[in-house]
Amino acid sequence: MSYVVPNINHSSSFWINLFLSNRALSGFIIILIYLAVASLFAYLISDHIAKIYRGEKTSISRYTDKFVNFFEKIIGEESKKEMKFREYFKSLIIFNAIAGIIAFIFLYFENMIPFNHSSFGMNLSLTVNTVVSFLTNTNLQHYSNPLRLTYFSQTFVLIGLMYLAPATAFAASMAFVRGILTEKGNLGNFYHDFLISIFELFLPLSLLITIFLILLGIPETTLSVLNVHPFFSGSTVPIPLGSVASWESIKNLGTNGGGFYGANAAFPFENPNWITNMIEFTSFILIPLGSIISLGKVFEKRQFGQMLFGVIMAFFILGAAITFIGEYVGIPALSSLGITYTGNLVGKETSLGIAQSSIFAVGATMTSTGASNGALISYTPLGILGVLVPLLMNDPLGGAGTSVLNIFTFVIFTAFIASLMVGRLPEIMRIKLGSREIKYSTLSLITHPLIVMIPLGFTLAYSFAMGTFVNSQPDRITSLLYEYTSSASNNGSEIGGFLTNQAFFNYMDSLVMLLGRYLIIGFQLVIAQSLSAKAPKAEGENAVRLGSFPFAVTLFSVMIIVGLLSFFPVLVLGPLLSLARDFGLVVGEIL
Amino acid sequence: MKFKLNSEKIKSTVIATFKQFNPVFELRNPVMFVTEVAFLFSVVMAILPSYFGLPVTGNYPEFYFSVIILLFLTLLFANFSYAISEGKSKAIVASLRKLRKETLAHRLKSDGTIEEVKSSDLRKGDMFVVEKNEEIPTDGEVIDGSGYVSESSITGESRPVLRIVGDSVTGSTTLTTDRIKVRASSDPGETFIDKMIDLVNKSTREKTPNETALTAFLAGLTLIFLIVTASLYPLSDYMGISPNLMILIVLLICLIPTTIGALLSAIGIASINRISKYNIMAKSGKAVENAGDIDTIIVDKTGTITIGDRDAKKFYPAPGVDYSDFVKYCLMASIPDKTREGISIAKLARIEGAKISEDDVKEYTFLPFSAETKFSGIEKADESIIKGALSAIERKYGIKDQYIEGISKEISSRGGTALPVVRNGKFVGVIELADMLKPGIRERIESIKKMDIKTIMCTGDDEITAQQISLESGIDEYVANSTPMDKYQVVLLEKEKSRMVAMVGDGTNDAPALAKADVGLAMNSGTQAAKEAANMVDLDNDPTKLLDVIFLGKQVLITRGALTTFSFANDISKYFVILPAIFASFSSLSYINILDLTNPLLAITSALIFNTLIILALLPLALRGVTFRPASVSDILKRNIGLYGFGGVILPFIAIKVIYMLLLAGGVTW
Repeated sequence: MSYVVPNINHSSSFWINLFLSNRALSGFIIILIYLAVASLFAYLISDHIAKIYRGEKTSISRYTDKFVNFFEKIIGEESKKEMKFREYFKSLIIFNAIAGIIAFIFLYFENMIPFNHSSFGMNLSLTVNTVVSFLTNTNLQHYSNPLRLTYFSQTFVLIGLMYLAPATAFAASMAFVRGILTEKGNLGNFYHDFLISIFELFLPLSLLITIFLILLGIPETTLSVLNVHPFFSGSTVPIPLGSVASWESIKNLGTNGGGFYGANAAFPFENPNWITNMIEFTSFILIPLGSIISLGKVFEKRQFGQMLFGVIMAFFILGAAITFIGEYVGIPALSSLGITYTGNLVGKETSLGIAQSSIFAVGATMTSTGASNGALISYTPLGILGVLVPLLMNDPLGGAGTSVLNIFTFVIFTAFIASLMVGRLPEIMRIKLGSREIKYSTLSLITHPLIVMIPLGFTLAYSFAMGTFVNSQPDRITSLLYEYTSSASNNGSEIGGFLTNQAFFNYMDSLVMLLGRYLIIGFQLVIAQSLSAKAPKAEGENAVRLGSFPFAVTLFSVMIIVGLLSFFPVLVLGPLLSLARDFGLVVGEIL
Repeated sequence: MKFKLNSEKIKSTVIATFKQFNPVFELRNPVMFVTEVAFLFSVVMAILPSYFGLPVTGNYPEFYFSVIILLFLTLLFANFSYAISEGKSKAIVASLRKLRKETLAHRLKSDGTIEEVKSSDLRKGDMFVVEKNEEIPTDGEVIDGSGYVSESSITGESRPVLRIVGDSVTGSTTLTTDRIKVRASSDPGETFIDKMIDLVNKSTREKTPNETALTAFLAGLTLIFLIVTASLYPLSDYMGISPNLMILIVLLICLIPTTIGALLSAIGIASINRISKYNIMAKSGKAVENAGDIDTIIVDKTGTITIGDRDAKKFYPAPGVDYSDFVKYCLMASIPDKTREGISIAKLARIEGAKISEDDVKEYTFLPFSAETKFSGIEKADESIIKGALSAIERKYGIKDQYIEGISKEISSRGGTALPVVRNGKFVGVIELADMLKPGIRERIESIKKMDIKTIMCTGDDEITAQQISLESGIDEYVANSTPMDKYQVVLLEKEKSRMVAMVGDGTNDAPALAKADVGLAMNSGTQAAKEAANMVDLDNDPTKLLDVIFLGKQVLITRGALTTFSFANDISKYFVILPAIFASFSSLSYINILDLTNPLLAITSALIFNTLIILALLPLALRGVTFRPASVSDILKRNIGLYGFGGVILPFIAIKVIYMLLLAGGVTW
């Protein structure tokens, strides 16, 4: 293995030279550029999202109103009435359940449906897992796509769910915000909120992104395959085609993350170059970050929005730095063999490199997207740690819609502790927090670690489940922890390293995904219901200011402590032990 | 706070401590319940080690024994903290009960005759007579006569206080002069002392909403740690280490928030005990916590900012009025006026040489001062002498006088109060009354303002006096020329801005405002209506105590928050001690053993010793409350996050290392 440093002479500019010769520095700069671009667009969209949250007309309302009204007429009375928690949550669950059942029927019987070019079909457990994972915005994809899916299933059933899932969560976040803003004791109407999210947010934006992606060369066609004849072999390699661009746009925009192709964004037809890489990264950051920035406008506390942005960025930079350093340093054992080693590029798209792969991977777990442009199983233990830690904190930035719900589980709890620490009764957005809000906030907070640790312990205790793991023991634990945290946080990224498509994991993951999705939405909506009945008190100088720096530090620490205290023992036996092994602290002991 | 040691108290505390081991008592506290179950489990495991696959070779038996002892001590300390605070409440209740003894009462029958009944036979609305040096049988309102009452039995203040018609008196206090007629204001079992006993008793049983929320949160985290520890069993099993259940139990106990769990109920009870020590009766623990949350306090000038009533300082006759005549008029108008103001005018007038006795004003009718009219005086057919607020008098008689106005302004500008006197509708002069700021009030107002709490002063005085006093004392806003109804308006106005309001009041007129305020502190000397409307009553009649109550409320909340934060911050360092010890067989993991504790069993024991001793070390803090210095919210947050958050991460590292070294030095080598 040898590596030739490109001999580019840019002596004319000191900075360009520095950028090209110092790969660590240029890597960090690339990461910061990605974050800056994504933040810029998130900031631009935040005004639009704030208007949606406040229930105001947006700049596109005059076009979208017709569609919303049309569908509301079809739904009838149900779409008009004001709902309390019970009704709202019931509508959400029933609506999702019906969609899930329809999707299940289409997938399970897909071979009987036209446009079936080459599908292998799916068995029961895989179908259940696939439907649940797309319904809960997880997209674990235990199937090998697109081989097991017909184009009909890909284009209509799964893309349909990819719109439905984020719009459901976004509707829930609208109800949550409404609960804080209003004092009538109602959460609004689920169907209305759902239609608004579809027509005002997801459809127009995904249309726009699809056009860009098509222009950049991503396929959107009804052709079944592209036959490639590699010049070094006589055989023909068929590459499946389909509605890749439209899939790709909602995959990222809706923080779904499941790829059209098995290799996800590492496949050239999904992500051909650095521009599409940046567009895709930006589009999955767009709505979660935009919603969080918009909170400053929604609650008329600009500082609150800035504070959340700051905390999220701190996690983002921290995670990206850990992963980047881990991948950049690579495995020292190889360097010591005298190889000119340029960092760990195994399983990465070389045209993107370490920095662009690291920020993409961390972005995918900071949000609940889970898309990947490289193979996580080839990442170094430190590299995995930067990707895994956000997952342990239940995706700090969350998904489309869940961003607001997730961040508020931490904000409410931090407000509770911080208020006590200054001798005030807890309040948030000028509304007093009672024991009911704290109880449900605690429940949302502990749901994530519980639905990860219980299945994890269970799986480890039954050796049959661990039969297909191929790596060494600490890596197996990392893989397993990653699998369940990814399901629980509805993220969907995977390290793999074992046969995921087995009945045990298909069902266990489905259960974890369902609980991780609907329990937290439910708990947060109960809190919203409880807050919606309370009138806000006066803006007091002496309440804990949620936008202040001490609060930001407290929030940051609480997220780290609550997130990590639950998982530290597993981390020690997983990535930290692998790290010790890779750095040759004691060679060969565990293997 | 002194806890006097005598054998009786020690005995009852010890008994109460051990009674708490009953798991039924622990159920209300999930953290300690889990600890108790873990303790019982560890005992069983130590007895049957082979059944649980525990190694018994080498130093293991000693280790198991010390774990059992330490777990027992953890429970003991938790129960002890509860027993101490409960013991204090019991002592308070017992001393209150002693007051509630049966006495003889002279009940007035409807025909005016007196019958002797037992105090417990008195019902609300009954009238009775109290003679000199008799104990007042039950709570009531004075309806005839006046006299000095010694309240030393409940307030500890030995100086008797004057009680006049309309004032309320408390059962079990003693009338030291004169004879009064009283209307009973409560049925047996509902008197003031009964209510107080009830409150103190309740504080050991009932949780405030805030405590409930915190308990729920602690329960949630305990559940997580339970699952985390349980999952370590299959996890280490899978990694090929045979998991030692006893060590997992130690890990569990170190992770669950035992510190706050052990001290939580003690904090709440201690706060009620402390407020009782202040001689304040709070109607609920919630009221005390609310006090910590106040945005605005509304105070009266008189009594809170300035010393009680004002003393007469100087007489200024109007031009053309003879000095001695003016003094005589003042004396005449003040003789029937039994307020302290009136008495002080009469006293000064006599010093100035006026000679008028009570008989001389017999044929005059007395017009008592009222907050509405704002003047008092005497009148008969052809003569009237009125003294009162300038604006009120100008309005009443429609007169104006430049000289009087000038003098009044001058007096006001030096913080005094001008009391113009009018005889037969003509100004005859001005009495200067001096207002004195209470000692230390400036500093207290300053500290209140540091907490960003707005202060509003209500006073019946004119604009200039009000302005002067608020300038001197540092009050933010004032309402001059106010009547008690205005106070209600101020409360309403602040409530409309959704601010939390605290106020002090004593008159019947204050009752609506007291009821509307979030924290209403009534004076024990005040009317029954005021005491009923308020949610706290001060036995010492010291309005400044409102500030103490606010401090106390904040202190309770901060103590809870600080100990919770500390408890969780500790977990980080305990992880770094126990996990390397559990996984000691992976020598490659030594890089997370940042304390370099090479002996695993000793390291685990050190962590558990720290976990146990910290409860005892923090017990005084829980009972006394954390130190609270008034400052802005942001500063307090910074300080407490630093002290209890980051301090809570660092302290255990140091302490556990020290304990480990001490154990080594002491010759413990396992």
